Amino acid sequence: MEAPFPVEPVQRVEDSGDERRLVAGVLAKDRKATAEFVDRCSDWLYPFLRRRLLPRSELLEDLLQEVLLAAWEGLAGFRSDASLRTWVLGIARHKVEEYYRKRLRGAETVGEDESADEVAIMPLFDQELDRAAQQDQVQKVLSNLPETYALALIWRYRDEKSVREMAELTGKTEKAMERLLARARGSFRKRWSDAQP
Amino acid sequence: MPSPDLEKQFFALLAEGGAAREGAPSSMKARLYSRLIHKQQESGPLASLDASVESGHKICVFEKLVQIAPIGEPAKSPFFCQVCHARVLAEHFDNPPIYWRNCPYVRFRES
Repeated sequence: MEAPFPVEPVQRVEDSGDERRLVAGVLAKDRKATAEFVDRCSDWLYPFLRRRLLPRSELLEDLLQEVLLAAWEGLAGFRSDASLRTWVLGIARHKVEEYYRKRLRGAETVGEDESADEVAIMPLFDQELDRAAQQDQVQKVLSNLPETYALALIWRYRDEKSVREMAELTGKTEKAMERLLARARGSFRKRWSDAQP
Repeated sequence: MPSPDLEKQFFALLAEGGAAREGAPSSMKARLYSRLIHKQQESGPLASLDASVESGHKICVFEKLVQIAPIGEPAKSPFFCQVCHARVLAEHFDNPPIYWRNCPYVRFRES
């Protein structure tokens, strides 16, 4: 359907003066500035969070809202020595870590796939799948894994967190974190090969 | 410790997380905007429409009607979108049939 009149293109000048004005507007509870703030922040946050939460995408909107509200509540403390984007993504990183930490803290074993450890001989990942098909399969396998396994793998390999950092953040020993990751990898590889035709 | 090859394989396989450049769906932005506005209202009224206009923002036709109405300043501060069909449509559909110029919900669809 055509718009009955031309819709004005959205201007996105992201210099620091522009950001200062935007922040001042949001703090003054200007509804139009708030719309601009939500528009910009959502576009920065959505891919960032999606990448770290997939396949648990049902959590995306809740976490995005949590980050936005935290950003709004902390906005008075925003100093434009970093860009607004960097600042907001910093909050998001913190929230994601908090989420991973909570979910993994209590996880020792999940009571299944105990045999799926790395001494088992598993076939290597199929090299012949094209990139898109491979990514599809990665998401499918991740979504079928127990949540703690999926989160541990995403945190380690997608977010590139070191085992030591993961251990510190969850209050586990490095050895316990290694064990969790080993089980997660074993479970992933088993499901991956089960999914092969 | 896993073998370096196995580590490499997992990094390569999991590094890509889908459409990383994709922006947020407009219906999600619409819902988030409404919630943030409600949150702002918890600590007092929003800035008036006059203040928005003075800051260089443009307002939609309905807001314009309120702005020029002979009513006091406090009556110009509520979140008028709360009773607007554009908000309802925008919160439920990603490409809602709304075209009001300077409507924030249209903006989400266009961005």
